[in-house]
Amino acid sequence: MNRILPLLPWLLALALLAVLPQVLTVKYYLHLSILALIWVIVAQGQNLIQGFTGYVSIVQAGFMGIGAYGSTLMGLNFQWPLWATMIMAPLITALFALATGYPSLRVKGHYFAIVTLAFNLIIVIVLVNYSELTKGEAGISNIPKPWGGNREAFYYLALVLAASLTLLAALIARSRVGEILLAIRQNEDLVAALGIAAWKYKLFAFVISAMYAGLGGALYAHFQGFINPEIFGVAQSLDAILAVILGGSGTIAGPAIGAFLVVFLPEFLRFADSFRLILYGLILVLATIFMPIGIVGIIKAAFARIARREVRHGG
Amino acid sequence: MSKHKFTRACAALALTLVAGSSLAAEKKLTVGVADALTGGGAVYGLPQANAVKMAAEEINAAGGIKVGPDIYKIDVIAYDDKANPTEATNAVRKLIDRDGVKYILGFCCSGSTSAVASFIGNEKAVMLVGNAAERSITTKKIPNLVRTRPPADYTGQAAGTFIARKGQKRIAVLGALDVGFYAQYVDSVEREIKKVGGEIIAREVFSLKDRDMTPQLTKIRGLNPDAILVVGYVEPAAFVYRQAVELGMNIPRYGFTSGSEEQFLRVTTSEQMEGVWDLRPTELTLLSASKNGIAYHANYTKKYNASPSPSSPYAYDQLYALKAAIEAAGTVDNTEAVAKALRNLAVPPQVVMQYQPVDGKMFDVNGQAYTSNGAFQWQKGKWVFVEDLPSDSKAYSQFLSTLK
Repeated sequence: MNRILPLLPWLLALALLAVLPQVLTVKYYLHLSILALIWVIVAQGQNLIQGFTGYVSIVQAGFMGIGAYGSTLMGLNFQWPLWATMIMAPLITALFALATGYPSLRVKGHYFAIVTLAFNLIIVIVLVNYSELTKGEAGISNIPKPWGGNREAFYYLALVLAASLTLLAALIARSRVGEILLAIRQNEDLVAALGIAAWKYKLFAFVISAMYAGLGGALYAHFQGFINPEIFGVAQSLDAILAVILGGSGTIAGPAIGAFLVVFLPEFLRFADSFRLILYGLILVLATIFMPIGIVGIIKAAFARIARREVRHGG
Repeated sequence: MSKHKFTRACAALALTLVAGSSLAAEKKLTVGVADALTGGGAVYGLPQANAVKMAAEEINAAGGIKVGPDIYKIDVIAYDDKANPTEATNAVRKLIDRDGVKYILGFCCSGSTSAVASFIGNEKAVMLVGNAAERSITTKKIPNLVRTRPPADYTGQAAGTFIARKGQKRIAVLGALDVGFYAQYVDSVEREIKKVGGEIIAREVFSLKDRDMTPQLTKIRGLNPDAILVVGYVEPAAFVYRQAVELGMNIPRYGFTSGSEEQFLRVTTSEQMEGVWDLRPTELTLLSASKNGIAYHANYTKKYNASPSPSSPYAYDQLYALKAAIEAAGTVDNTEAVAKALRNLAVPPQVVMQYQPVDGKMFDVNGQAYTSNGAFQWQKGKWVFVEDLPSDSKAYSQFLSTLK
């Protein structure tokens, strides 16, 4: 029973998400839910490098772009089947991440963040200017959609992938690799002193994180049917960071909750008209200041407090 | 029939007629606006949204849209898309899926418009595009999409002819050239000036958020050009004009910006703007030649306490075109019929822009409308319409039809 209990919220959430398309009468919310599930994948990837390893990467949207354009261009230029290009997308992104991660991870802290930010800018500049291939700022339209654009079917695809990749992130976090990543976050010098090649683990986290983003990008492209460089700019990378911080950095549930927040919150604030973004910004600032451990962190702390009180009463 | 029965029947008939007519009077047609209400694109998007609201009020005050025996009053829902493709998709999905809107107007900016255009063909809705100038929006032959603004290269061709005629041979370009339609405009200008032995000697880029363009201008000054051509959003373009004067560049300045006097004067002074040319579609100016334009300018200024941007009537005209199409189709529910009626529409008399119909129709087979193009010059604090630029809407329409 004790083993099942921690899984209960996950199972409940999964069951709720599974029946969601059947209970939603307004398909707009299904549209947002699909975007949120794509962002769950992207945020879980971000969490591996940011939350577990302690390296804030500002290139997640750039990697999404590589996945999105990779999958789209392979389909359009080589007539590869959609499923094949979607599988290839994270692999292509991994190659880019290997090439960029190796030099980037030689620096730490803010310097790493700035280097990755520069990579994101470079990716966007290339996407804008290499217009013979990418069609530049005008973007690529009519990207093939699976099942003829059936949103319900796409929702379940996104749900299965988001759930599987969340499970994979949990397995990585609980493995020896995950422990070393956490150790790097706590004290990288100590890890090195133990004779562990920290760079290999950091590179692993960075590449896996990019693969998550690459798959998220490919899903985005084949869901929306349109991509242009603007979608994969630094602002979106910051959204990935925010999703992790808001939900709870270094937790598994956190990025999933945060992803839904960064998609749904700006939409729910549409009633505020032109004050919407000010309000959104304000909420984010307040949340970051007053909830640095994220929603999951707060819930965990609340449960711990209740447990302590029960022990005290029992004792 | 007894007297009582007859009276009752008359009363029932009268009641039905009264109820029927009152129901008809209260019918409502909700139209959506998806546009940049915040962010960099808001200089175009916000005036467009305002223009649609104003047109709706005018149409309602004049009796609404007549569809058979029914009269529809227009209600407008406007959502911000921040000129961002994802936001635009979300806004339009909300309008269609949640609000049940069938007619969506606005669309000032190309990236966000292209994102919506990529799926609108599968929806039972009609999309009317305004200021977004990217050519490819109307090359995809989407049957339920029309656009009031002509593509940028249509105007660029006319602008190139004008610059060539002015005799300047060595033109330096400074602009948002990473934005597709600005690059298309410049390419068209280049084609025309090459015909008379001219050339573009520099293509310097600024981003839409840049405010210091002195490095690019210094480089351009070193090349000693005959004139500069500035293409981009209003604010960065205004900074270029200002900084060119500050750097002592006393050469003709041409542009493609569509900014109002008020928008330019937020950044630069009238003296610094003196003599600048804006080579653009014949949009609204303070000294607009058309009666509709003058009335539009006055009404907008009164209602919003600000001058309308020159491109805002593209959205205003959308609603009048939609009204005419719905009345011609005789339905608000059958969007296919309304989309078809739009393609067969003559230019409605209430529109502000001066459209050049193709085969007598406001929109050509691609769903594209064409305005005349004009050369405007800044003179003593105002954009003054100087002359029409030669533009062949029919020839361009045929060219557009050949593109995919």
